[in-house]
Amino acid sequence: MALINIASREIHCKIVYYGIGYCGKTTNLQYVHKSITPNARGDMLSIATETERTLFFDFLPLDLGTVHGFRTRFHLYTVPGQILYERTRLAVLNGADGIVFVVDSQAEKFEENVQSIAELDMHMRRIGKDMSTFPLTMQWNKRDMPNALPTPVLERYLNRRRVPSFEAVASAGKGVFATLRAISKSVIAQL
Amino acid sequence: MEQLTNLVISDRDLATISSVLVRLMNDTNAASIMLIDKSGQVVAVQGGSTKRNATTLGALLAGVFSSSREVAKLLDEKDFRNIFQQGVQQNIYTSMVEEQWLLVIIFDRSTHIGLVKVLSKKASDELGRILERVRADTTRAKSSVLNLQFRSSVEDTIDLLFRD
Repeated sequence: MALINIASREIHCKIVYYGIGYCGKTTNLQYVHKSITPNARGDMLSIATETERTLFFDFLPLDLGTVHGFRTRFHLYTVPGQILYERTRLAVLNGADGIVFVVDSQAEKFEENVQSIAELDMHMRRIGKDMSTFPLTMQWNKRDMPNALPTPVLERYLNRRRVPSFEAVASAGKGVFATLRAISKSVIAQL
Repeated sequence: MEQLTNLVISDRDLATISSVLVRLMNDTNAASIMLIDKSGQVVAVQGGSTKRNATTLGALLAGVFSSSREVAKLLDEKDFRNIFQQGVQQNIYTSMVEEQWLLVIIFDRSTHIGLVKVLSKKASDELGRILERVRADTTRAKSSVLNLQFRSSVEDTIDLLFRD
């Protein structure tokens, strides 16, 4: 839920990176944190287990500076991807203004991806959001893997709404900002 | 329950909210008080030390509350609305305002939790009335800010900043 504070002249929007375990959600945020101009980023916060899997969420605030008199900020979150953490994912989804669904393109992850997007649909229905109009961007990640499925296959089965989608190799930064630009614009358009 | 798409806080609303928070802070002798949206966005903060880390605190406190609420659901709790975190130096009492906001009070040992509970309940009722007004005014107030020019300037800024 975007918060527009006229008194302090600030606009805050929340973007959540969703997807299965090890699909690259945290890697997306780490790349943004590393590469964006320092005065546009806040501290990145990660609540992870000892083995560096996301336990609760990662959080990265981005500051666009003042645009037309309003300081505009995007708060990026990731959810923990492992199946075990379904209730935590629901908690982090609370009040999201936009979602990036990160897909691990590898063939053996296909079924898990399908289940994850079905789970997302279910959660969104539960919190009363209409997925047919909600800002959503797909990211086909790990395109550098030899067993990556062709993107037309991913599009057909995972992108039924035909929302904007981007190929990515998040570990090398490829496609990370293209995805972020698309979801940010989509969120602003829906405000 | 359907979530709101956005919430617009006007000057007048923020002034009223701040006066409620200041009174609560003085009456409880709290170190700081925050009003956050349950998605983690900070609506208002009072008290010095918290202001610096407000954004991160907002995200974490909202996360902690949502997580505890899920735990309560699994235990068949029907109406879970408050959390009390007891620390060595600082205590935190979080209570839900309607289904939208969280009122967070940070206080030390010199303040009794009973006082915090009672006074935060009173403040929550007042904030609930303000929230109702904010909700009603949101559509009108939004169109005054989010015009075409604003949207296209934000898009330009996104193109400028979000790149390698």
